[in-house]
Amino acid sequence: MLEISDLVTAYGKIEALKGVSLQIAGGRITCLLGPNGAGKTTLMMTIAGILQPRRGSIRLDGAELVGLSPARIVAQGVALVPENRLVFPQMSVRENLLAGAYQRGDKAGISADIERMYQRFPRLAERREQLAGTLSGGEQQMLAVARALMSRPRLLLMDEPSLGLAPLVVAEVFRIVADLDRDGTTIFLVEQNAHMALQVARHFYLMEQGRVTFDGTPGELAEDEVIQRAYLGTRRATA
Amino acid sequence: MTDFVQNTLDGLMIGSSYGLLALGFTLIFGVMRRLNLSYGPSIMVGAYLGTFVYVQFGASPIAVAALAVAGAVLAGIYVERLCFAPMGPGAGIASMVSSFAIWMQLEQAAILVLPRHTYPYPPLAAVAPLMLGPFMVRLDHLVMLVAAIALSTGMHLLLYRTRFGLALRAIIGNPVAAHLVGVNVRTAMLGAFALASGIGGIAGYLVLAADQQVTSMFGMWATIKGLIAMMIGGLGSIPGAVLGGLVLGIIEMHGQWYFGSQVRDLIAYFLLFACLVLRPGGLLGDAPTRETAAYGRRA
Repeated sequence: MLEISDLVTAYGKIEALKGVSLQIAGGRITCLLGPNGAGKTTLMMTIAGILQPRRGSIRLDGAELVGLSPARIVAQGVALVPENRLVFPQMSVRENLLAGAYQRGDKAGISADIERMYQRFPRLAERREQLAGTLSGGEQQMLAVARALMSRPRLLLMDEPSLGLAPLVVAEVFRIVADLDRDGTTIFLVEQNAHMALQVARHFYLMEQGRVTFDGTPGELAEDEVIQRAYLGTRRATA
Repeated sequence: MTDFVQNTLDGLMIGSSYGLLALGFTLIFGVMRRLNLSYGPSIMVGAYLGTFVYVQFGASPIAVAALAVAGAVLAGIYVERLCFAPMGPGAGIASMVSSFAIWMQLEQAAILVLPRHTYPYPPLAAVAPLMLGPFMVRLDHLVMLVAAIALSTGMHLLLYRTRFGLALRAIIGNPVAAHLVGVNVRTAMLGAFALASGIGGIAGYLVLAADQQVTSMFGMWATIKGLIAMMIGGLGSIPGAVLGGLVLGIIEMHGQWYFGSQVRDLIAYFLLFACLVLRPGGLLGDAPTRETAAYGRRA
């Protein structure tokens, strides 16, 4: 569905992505692992059009996304749940959802989708008129996911949805990710929590220092010794 | 007592023109998180366009008003394209400094075209003051008050009831997230700039029609009054802008009455100073926080 080849994105002279190539298949979850500073968020921001790559291509079902504005990329059916959620703090939960449907014109469809979000995220229904800035971190994460879904994306990008959340809330977030997967949503997930990611993702990439260093199935991931030590901690070898 | 009420009334009406100036200023600041020093000079360009046509061809007050607004909007768009659109994230200072350069450019251009110090400006209508018992109300001042109420209400409706308003509030809330939900941020910012300059153009026209004269210093006057009213009311707050303007107008009028007209501007600066020390966020604004500073960097 999404094909990224030889992508290079730089901040000034520093290349954060040094020729990244990967594929995301439709209808399942692909997960990108990697340490802080590997370039995961840069990759997400480049796909969403916030950052412009220096070279390379990003094709969604064959159509080139590089060079399009972020608004045009949303119109193509890509929605990003950004790192740190970035909800609109001074808007109510409901208005955040409306903003998520900014490019849609079908009022009835938008209202129906908002009701659907309230069913999927009951906590948001309870707080529909509350300002998003006053929600807890977990609630803001749900809102960020619901806001992204409001654009009816073909591809949902999620940048570390478990970041900074309590373990119980992380479990809740992954329950939602699994739900979305069951509905057939294509998801590209960035995570540092490899244990949780292993439960939902069907394909894994590992990025280090701007390069893809692993590409494989969950089974292959679990067998890779280096990854085991660094991300799964099964050997308890290093502190 | 009569004097006190009369001064308050006058202040209220003068203050409503300050409130209108602050309204445009605060819209630009809220959306951009950057200061547009060329805001007043853009209004001055519109005013000079109006007076030029008035002096050369004897245009009607309505034509002058329309030109004042149109000129301000065009100059505003020019400033946005030059000083704001090309500057990337984190270049807030560059925008401010370049808007200062364009201020000087616009002022010099106006002086080249109309070199005299003062030019006449057509009054709104035959000015017969309205008597309310012992109190006198100038009709053109009353129009300022009505315009301030109407425009701030209109702006509120625009922000909370329209798609364009939703886009602006999304940008004010978080520019990156606004991009991510599909708002065309650059277009929306240009729209906000044009709208703000248009509101400023209306305010400028009403002030000049009441004064019946214009000088090239009007740009500086409008920037400073708008800026002070915005700071007093609260950065980025729409009700705050109007309230700040009214407070500034009323205190100026009382001060002028007790201490003489030469201290009027001194009082305005003192009020700004007191406000920054006692309530740095303004009357209705939030005190600046690390978080708002961070939004500024992202914008």
